[in-house]
Amino acid sequence: MNGLHGIIFSYERRNDLRELGEIRSASSMPFGCRFRTVDFSLSTLVNAGTTDVGIVLHGQYQSLLDHLGTGKDWDLSRKRGGLRLLPPFNYQQNWGVMPFRGKMEALANVRSYLDTIRQGYVVMMEGDLVANLPLADIYANHIKSGADITVVCGNDSFATENGTYFEKSDDGRVTQVLYKLNTPRGYRGLEVYILSTALLKQLVDDCKAKDQFSWRRDVLLAKKDTLNLRTYIWNGFAAQIRSVQEYYDRSMQLLNPAIRKELFTPERPVRAKGSDRAPSYVGAGGRCVNSLMADGCSIEGVVENSVLCTGVVVEPGAVVRNCVLFKGTVVRRNAQLSYVITDKKVEILPDRTLMGHSTYPIVLAKGSRV
Amino acid sequence: MKKECVAMLLAGGQGSRLYVLTGDMAKPAVPFGGKYRIIDFPLSNCTNSGIDTVGVLTQYRPLELNSYIGSGQPWDLDGSTGGVHILPPYQGSDGGTWYKGTANAIYQNKGFVDMYDPDYVIILSGDHIYKMDYAGMIARHKETEAACTISVMEVPWDEASRFGIMSVNEQDMITEFAEKPKEPKSNLASMGIYVFSWPVLRQYLVDDENNPNSENDFGKNVIPAMLNNQEKMAAYRFDGYWKDVGTLESLWDANMDMLSPESGLDLHDKSWPIYARSVNAAAAYLGPRSTVTHSAFNRGSDLEGVVENSVLSPNVDVAEGARVSYSVLLPGVKIAAGAVVEYAILGEDCRIGPGCHVGGKPEDYPDGWGLTVLGPQCELSEGMNVAPGKMLDSNGKEVSKK
Repeated sequence: MNGLHGIIFSYERRNDLRELGEIRSASSMPFGCRFRTVDFSLSTLVNAGTTDVGIVLHGQYQSLLDHLGTGKDWDLSRKRGGLRLLPPFNYQQNWGVMPFRGKMEALANVRSYLDTIRQGYVVMMEGDLVANLPLADIYANHIKSGADITVVCGNDSFATENGTYFEKSDDGRVTQVLYKLNTPRGYRGLEVYILSTALLKQLVDDCKAKDQFSWRRDVLLAKKDTLNLRTYIWNGFAAQIRSVQEYYDRSMQLLNPAIRKELFTPERPVRAKGSDRAPSYVGAGGRCVNSLMADGCSIEGVVENSVLCTGVVVEPGAVVRNCVLFKGTVVRRNAQLSYVITDKKVEILPDRTLMGHSTYPIVLAKGSRV
Repeated sequence: MKKECVAMLLAGGQGSRLYVLTGDMAKPAVPFGGKYRIIDFPLSNCTNSGIDTVGVLTQYRPLELNSYIGSGQPWDLDGSTGGVHILPPYQGSDGGTWYKGTANAIYQNKGFVDMYDPDYVIILSGDHIYKMDYAGMIARHKETEAACTISVMEVPWDEASRFGIMSVNEQDMITEFAEKPKEPKSNLASMGIYVFSWPVLRQYLVDDENNPNSENDFGKNVIPAMLNNQEKMAAYRFDGYWKDVGTLESLWDANMDMLSPESGLDLHDKSWPIYARSVNAAAAYLGPRSTVTHSAFNRGSDLEGVVENSVLSPNVDVAEGARVSYSVLLPGVKIAAGAVVEYAILGEDCRIGPGCHVGGKPEDYPDGWGLTVLGPQCELSEGMNVAPGKMLDSNGKEVSKK
């Protein structure tokens, strides 16, 4: 047990995920063929030696629960500590009407859980972050720097949905907290924060007393001059899966070997739920290039520049280009797909043609037949 | 806790006819079909057949096998009342021995079986690739009220002399058994899968142990003794895919069969999944200039070259300009640019340097062709040739088949 406790937030609804986000939270979006977005946060925590992780849930979290199970796949099924699921049992608002208005409200909702934290420090993360962070270093850096709160940022101002951005001084102290910008500037916050457990509890209690609910407005922005907020800049790949467009673009980036090498560095393996499917197979007449594939796929047609999850079937004569196909998608004979994201168990009947564009990929909802 | 049936899986095989390929592991731990190991088949069959208590009898270099089986969780064999148990030979207060034979291995573990007080025991072997519902076999055993039921399959008559052959009457009850007969009277071969009524078997094992002339083997001693005593012995016919992968050639064949579900070995069949302890790695990547045809591959692999008619395990890299044909690559093999691998089995973590040529096509070597086999961790430096039929051990030294 090291001194770091993990809290992953998975309560926000992302409307820009369209059909993909209606049936699951952003934390359980399939990503990189055989992973879910939350695998990256969990693996980051486990690789840093964290043994206790709480996940704050709201909304459509069945899919996430199904994926997490007991936490065994991340070695988080433990007698003491391990994975702790925190569903909303005490709504602040009317029953089922609204998710939490902000992280501070979400934490106030699980206040008694905060008292059970055995570790001196807490790292808070969003379940939609796809990055393989060197969290052990970030934690060591937090202790060394004497910061009250360490704010982990990407080294860009990439416009992510409802993103938070930070400006900093030369010595790394946060000078400005920005959000709801039309044109983002500063460093893109990855919504990863380290602070002491004691400070977290104090902040939660303070906010609750004042009916404040927003972490970035009521804590980061309001207290940036009184608390020592310091940045940690991460130069590697960091995607926040909050819209279909971002999901698509980030998925396609995985076809770049350099990005894969960095995201799946052997030093910090990304763990995921296992699969009991047979190896993938490309048939004698199949052709599959510049594509990623999970287990259990069977390719008899043509696949180019695509990302295929577990158990995808592409029949002879079918052509799949620039697509992301979720688990169990079946593309029948002579169908053609370009720039399409299919959710689980979608079936494309023979001879159908569907074409999106890289700036507007078509999304097919779970189980649909075209 | 009483169980109706307990499975005992004989996994002590040394795999000497797999030569260099086994390295430091027992035969049942040898990788198969890209993501499996041989033992996954009997273990998954048990789970799929509703048998939740399995004893795995190990003896030869068990480390890899033991760590692979672990808690049994991948096969759902980690239940609180049964599950998978590793059973190595042990010393008692009056001494102990290695397992002297298959029957002796069960004899030595009769205490384990007794613990579950089963009505039936099913004896399995750890070197066969097949999918079989043992429940059907046990049902036949009950129905015929047999003391022993042996699973059999029809083999071509000209091959029958290589097997243990059962002669049966009209009710498919066994009347005669002949081990590798010169003139077979039947073409029903024993698959080495037996269901026994435990109280009966227990007595035979004790008697067999007391017989100083016995080799303590099921096929050679126990089955003939039961037949001699006119015990009721039923045959259970099986007509699915079954292969003993005890030799390099049969192991290669079975891997190739896995590529063609028409062979009967359909691993995509969701009704009978074969479970395995899988490695954690990113998805497989097929590069822009890769050509992968009629091949299976697994996670963690980076395929940039030509792969045809081959079975690739996880974490295999084939560089651009390299070609792999009709080969079986075990986990972690790396093939450098310009290398050619044909009709070969490459052990775990082999490194094939640029421009190497391993193996060759049978048609190019009309007199004297064979599979080429490299032991685990074998490294070939740039430009090396390994002729067909050659076998190199982990240090790259040539080994001849005895």
